Amino acid sequence: MKLGSRPLLLLLGTTIVLVALARDRGEQARGETVAMAAPQTPMQAPLTPSPASGTGQVNGAAEARLIEIYRLTGAGYTREALERAESLVRDHPNFQLAQLVYGDLLTTQARPVRDFGDVPAALAGGSAGNTLSDLRHESQMRIKALRERPPVGAIPSQFLALSPRNRHAIAIDASRSRLYLFENTPQQLKLVADFYISVGKSGIEKMVEGDARTPLGVYFIISNLDPKSLSDFYGSGALPINYPNVLDSKRGKTGRGIWLHGTPPNQFSRAPLASDGCVVLSNPDLAFLSRTVEIRTTPVVISPRLEWVAPHSVQAERKPFEDALGAWRSAKSRGDLDQLLSFYTPDFKSYDKSLAEWVPALRSEVDKARGKPIQLKDLSYLRWTDATDTMVVTFGEVADGERSGPTKRQYWVRQGSEWKIFFEGIIG
Amino acid sequence: MKLGRAHSSTLLLVRLLALAISLTLGAAHANDYSDVAQLLREGKLAEAQTRVDRHLAAQPRDPQMRLFKGVIQRESGRPADAIATFTRLSEDHPELPEPYNNLAVIHAAQGQYDKARIALEKALRTNPSYATAHENLADVYARLASQAYSKALQLDGVPQPGPARLTLIRELSPAPASPARPVLAAAPSTAASKPVVPAQAKPAVVAAAPAPTKPAAATAAVPAPSATPPQPPAAADSSNREVELAVRAWARAWTDKNMTQYLAAYDKSFETPGQQSRSAWEQDRRLRITGKSRISVNLLELQITVKGNRAVAKFRQDYKADALAVLSRKTLELVRTGDRWLIVKEASGG
Repeated sequence: MKLGSRPLLLLLGTTIVLVALARDRGEQARGETVAMAAPQTPMQAPLTPSPASGTGQVNGAAEARLIEIYRLTGAGYTREALERAESLVRDHPNFQLAQLVYGDLLTTQARPVRDFGDVPAALAGGSAGNTLSDLRHESQMRIKALRERPPVGAIPSQFLALSPRNRHAIAIDASRSRLYLFENTPQQLKLVADFYISVGKSGIEKMVEGDARTPLGVYFIISNLDPKSLSDFYGSGALPINYPNVLDSKRGKTGRGIWLHGTPPNQFSRAPLASDGCVVLSNPDLAFLSRTVEIRTTPVVISPRLEWVAPHSVQAERKPFEDALGAWRSAKSRGDLDQLLSFYTPDFKSYDKSLAEWVPALRSEVDKARGKPIQLKDLSYLRWTDATDTMVVTFGEVADGERSGPTKRQYWVRQGSEWKIFFEGIIG
Repeated sequence: MKLGRAHSSTLLLVRLLALAISLTLGAAHANDYSDVAQLLREGKLAEAQTRVDRHLAAQPRDPQMRLFKGVIQRESGRPADAIATFTRLSEDHPELPEPYNNLAVIHAAQGQYDKARIALEKALRTNPSYATAHENLADVYARLASQAYSKALQLDGVPQPGPARLTLIRELSPAPASPARPVLAAAPSTAASKPVVPAQAKPAVVAAAPAPTKPAAATAAVPAPSATPPQPPAAADSSNREVELAVRAWARAWTDKNMTQYLAAYDKSFETPGQQSRSAWEQDRRLRITGKSRISVNLLELQITVKGNRAVAKFRQDYKADALAVLSRKTLELVRTGDRWLIVKEASGG
């Protein structure tokens, strides 16, 4: 009986499934809501293989499984997708987005799914409706980050120069709800992994304490908190950053306690806009980050939208600043105080000291060196451009003949074509 | 699950065909069927086609051979011909799921999923108990989905709906088995060339009837999968069949939103509800039915009583339209008008 032949049966098997999906897609094409865009993307656009996919087996593994389920669904393998979803929610019952996708896949077995997260009205009332839109938003953001992969080998434009002491670097792109982790190898800055993250309930650009916003700027990890010392709410740990930094304080920004941290036990991940200003990662991702990064030397750039550039293209950009920094070093090496002071802005501060209060310290430092040249070891500088152009510079200031010196940080501001220092201080 | 269903439906067909071949057909037929099947298995399409053509020349209406013909056309890369064959077969035998199923396969292969879906829904509708299991399964999936959604939305404290109430099938349904299978088996009744089975035999239905039967008793040994226990003798049975077909045609017209056929199912003397004029009632029905994007009407537990020219059909009506789903009792009263049975009264509840 040819009728029972396998090809026909297989066709039929996918047919029924595809019928539901075809309808689904058709309706989405007509739909206009934001939520509908979420499932559309994985079905219509092939996901570009991520440079981080090699490590995806360990990091962001749950997300990789979720995306595979999207892919299978988009390709019409709903049965296979359903099985994978079942296994994913078994492993991560608190992964709400996975539960939602699982629910949709089950629903396709009963009736056509009208849109992504086709929760019956009876379940989606009240605050559940908000949760549902949060989950759709999360799905969109995850897909967005995976579709808009950084070009291979590219780096965020802020990372002008990192020193070998910066063994890792973190860049956060709020527009994609994504954290990118780099390893600074001798050859290049290498993207190691990237993770879905949540930011403040009210979004980004923190100004004042309690505004539930995540700060934007160049920061450093200043501590690595043991999860045992924390409440469940922070999950697998916390990595505080130095908000408010010098630029923030100069601008009168307030607030404190901005951390990268994990999730509470009942949530695998949180909505894209969820925290009081912290950056939240899933517990496996945060745990990986905690094991990998270094206190004080791992920079954390938080940007509204990262700009990715080829590493060699930053060379040209670095030149004017490198010239200014070289001139400053040369003035200091010569002990030319007048020349040296021309590099500092009138509103310069060194922690709580004004320029007038700080000059005596600079003078005695110069006198003590007696014209001995200085070297800048382990020099790094990160550029932050918003309304103003800022360079966050870190180096070890080592006099010739010495083996070590204090680690200093300077904040430079570009005024027209000139770079000036508005903060200098010893750190660590 | 879906794949499994497809499998079982095909397996069912295979089994029934085997049954038909072995029990109700002459050796010549059996040879034809099994030979063609064998040739198809071996991919000898041309030879199979020759056999099928020869058979159909003698018995142009043989449903199994027509099914083979469509399969061969499809396998030889002539989907348009296959669609024509399966469509005609489905028109002649709307009670057979297989032509619809095969139409769906072709439509799906051409990316016409809407058509495939309609065909599959028609295939499911040929067998009410099959449809009931399908719906029960859908309900179970819906409940599973509901649980997953609750976890997604963290609705821990929210009371869940009560346990799913699936539809219990109380009676073996006479409709699918009796027309569908015997038609395959008793195809010679139209061709009237084989003396093996008397033309008027309705094997499956008669099979379990305790009443002494005509030569059809030869088939009494068939373990009819769907025998309805107390069946009146053949004459009344044929009236019952006619009424049942009329009722099912009415439900199908409703489902298809075919207003001409739907309204034609009602006799001129039909008592319109609320003493509306016939035209007002018709207008009302049109608005209600054509206004829905999707309707499905399934009849469960259909019971028919015929007295002379009057008949009563009682059933549970499983009506779904867009978001609406209503399961209700319904009673239709019909009268014989010429060779048709028409509805004179329609009552819900009780």
